[in-house]
Amino acid sequence: MPPTEYSADALGENVTRRLARALRAVFPHDNVPDGPYERSAEAILSSVSASPHQTAVIVEGLRGLDGLTGGDLTAVTADELSAVLLQIERTEFFQIMLTNTVVTLYSDQEVWDALGYEGFSSDKGGYVSRGFDDLDWLPEPRVEEYDGEPLTDYVPSIPGGTQPSFETKKTGAAR
Amino acid sequence: MSTIAHDEPAVVIIGSGAGGGTLAYELTARHIPVVLLEAGPHLTHDDYTNDEWDAFGQMAWTDMRTDNGSWRVARDFPNLPAWTVKAVGGTTTHWAGATPRFKPHEFKARTAYGRVDGANLLDWPIDASEMAPWYDKAEIAMGSTHRHGRKPLPANNNYKVLANGAERLGYKYYATGPYATNAEEYDGRPASVQDGFNFQGDKNGSKWSTLVREIPRACATGLLDLRPNCHAVQITHDAQGRADGVLYLDENGAMHRQRARLVSVAGNAIESARLLLLSESPMFPDGLANSSGQVGRNYMRHLTGSQYAQFDEPVHMYRGETMAGIVADESKHDTSRGFVGGYYLETVSLGPAFLAKFLDPGAWGRNFTSFMEQYANTAALWIVGEDMPQECNRVTLSPSATDQHGLPAPNVYYDDHANDTAMREHAYRRTAQLYQAVGAKRTYATTPYPSTHNLGTVRMSERPEDGVVNQWGRAHDVPNLFVSDGSVFTTSAAANPTLTIVALAIRQADYIADQMAAGEI
Ligand SMILES: Cc1cc2nc3c(=O)[nH]c(=O)nc-3n(C[C@H](O)[C@H](O)[C@H](O)COP(=O)(O)OP(=O)(O)OC[C@H]3O[C@@H](n4cnc5c(N)ncnc54)[C@H](O)[C@@H]3O)c2cc1C
Repeated sequence: MPPTEYSADALGENVTRRLARALRAVFPHDNVPDGPYERSAEAILSSVSASPHQTAVIVEGLRGLDGLTGGDLTAVTADELSAVLLQIERTEFFQIMLTNTVVTLYSDQEVWDALGYEGFSSDKGGYVSRGFDDLDWLPEPRVEEYDGEPLTDYVPSIPGGTQPSFETKKTGAAR
Repeated sequence: MSTIAHDEPAVVIIGSGAGGGTLAYELTARHIPVVLLEAGPHLTHDDYTNDEWDAFGQMAWTDMRTDNGSWRVARDFPNLPAWTVKAVGGTTTHWAGATPRFKPHEFKARTAYGRVDGANLLDWPIDASEMAPWYDKAEIAMGSTHRHGRKPLPANNNYKVLANGAERLGYKYYATGPYATNAEEYDGRPASVQDGFNFQGDKNGSKWSTLVREIPRACATGLLDLRPNCHAVQITHDAQGRADGVLYLDENGAMHRQRARLVSVAGNAIESARLLLLSESPMFPDGLANSSGQVGRNYMRHLTGSQYAQFDEPVHMYRGETMAGIVADESKHDTSRGFVGGYYLETVSLGPAFLAKFLDPGAWGRNFTSFMEQYANTAALWIVGEDMPQECNRVTLSPSATDQHGLPAPNVYYDDHANDTAMREHAYRRTAQLYQAVGAKRTYATTPYPSTHNLGTVRMSERPEDGVVNQWGRAHDVPNLFVSDGSVFTTSAAANPTLTIVALAIRQADYIADQMAAGEI
């Protein structure tokens, strides 16, 4: 049954889980557990809670996805749901999901862990003794500047190899 | 710290970043008292966080701005044309640290490149040999590595990939600097701990900023009256057209007037132009110091772009000094490449939060997430090259949008010039080859981010009709009005701008002190 009033209560109990499922279809990471998607869903729900219009957009959006997936959006795979989302990319519903989630999901510690990003480091003394230079599959490069001929800055240089002069022409008036 | 009375005609500097912070220190060091108005709060390293979005929210300039034009930033970020900082220290708190100098021909772009269709090229009224001693002073102040006996930073993982790729491509001019962060203790500040957080503020204090160097030193002279949370809204003038005061709002929204003997504007190119435009008056109906009509025009932001590359092996690009890796081979002017001017390649790294937002704004789905999943195996570089000054690229006052004070918001219009586009395409091609040369499996050419370099809106010119300020940054129209930040750039050059901003500010301080001593101001 569609809700008759679009307050936060109208969202119903499964809304976080259902929205999280849709968010997984926006940013599908097989190695990310449900937690980060649910936290992103909660962040969206709390950000729209002040706006009956946006709340309705979410409720109707999810209902619409149910319709497009044969009745239950959580019953199809993330990739099947992604294919459906492709058709509604321009809708406000999709844009709310996209612009909020790109910020919250990728600021989530559990996602950082899954991607291999180590997060805060200043409190751990940085990486000076924790692998800032541990890459060993390439030779150690020089860190000093090249000590041969300097770069020719201006090509073509004047015949004979000299660089033209780029000094200010002194006029009488200039001081 | 000193207190200067509001009715005392003071030297007033607006903005405490690279230009304004440097000028404030250099003047107080020459025994000249200064009022320094800064729109943002006084935060220090303990306040900083390693979380990208929290740090951005804490310090970035997020007052209302709008943008348009054909650049992609206008589509993806209609209210974020630029990433600048609103805090004591300005954007030097979030900057990385790359400090190349301009090349001699870059001060003379009109002569060096000839006439370029649609570009408003002009020679600077100064040249490289005149700037050389000021560059020396700036490098010493900022502790640039590889210069004046400063040790280079060690190679971090991201640099190892860049440097090896450069070598295999036949490039020679690569190194871990010059870069204004300490490789060893220097100037009372410690060596880098390679924590990887530059763009969020450096909690360790190894990176140069006016917050850690110039401002505390200016305070120590007892001659600086630093006023944080004070937003300048108008520069006023007397009947002779000389600046005589600055109106500003304090943190409670109360308006004050500081009398002024001399005013320096250093709010970063968008705000500096906006403030001059807001300072219109019956005598200056088009904005203060704008008889040339050039205030706000010729906005430049550097040709930029990034190349991300993924490998079978780990890189961990986020560990270590973000931009301590510079390749200069393409920084030359060589028209056989199909464009004038040149570009640098510099290591860059974003955490997952910013990478997801800026890699390809609006992207989603498997193609995108499969890229994010290779995060640990990703290397990246930033392309920074000369962009053409164009009259149409311009900061204006918005006719409709206002900021939280009710003042007209600045609008930033930007179109890429054909030369910019040709250079960027060349750079994307070469940088993909660079990473493929060391085994990249996948590369991703990323569109320019909101502008971190903002230049040219109050440009220097020899003749008053071509620009707004003269070779000292002194307004052609208003003799006691100075501009002291990146707005004065006549052309952008390829180099990151901050070293040049600082060198110009030190030079300007010397000139102002002389003029004041001689009773000329
Ligand atoms: C992420 C990032 C990385 C960067 N990396 C590099 C790099 O590696 N190398 C390099 O050369 N450059 C780099 N930059 C650019 C560098 O930070 C700027 O070039 C430099 O800080 C500009 O100096 P400025 O004096 O023009 O302005 P800012 O340093 O921005 O200072 C302007 C100050 O004026 C204040 N202000 C503005 N309007 C008002 C007003 N009306 N009243 C009072 N105060 C006002 C602002 O709050 C601000 O504090 C980087 C920038 C960013 C964002």
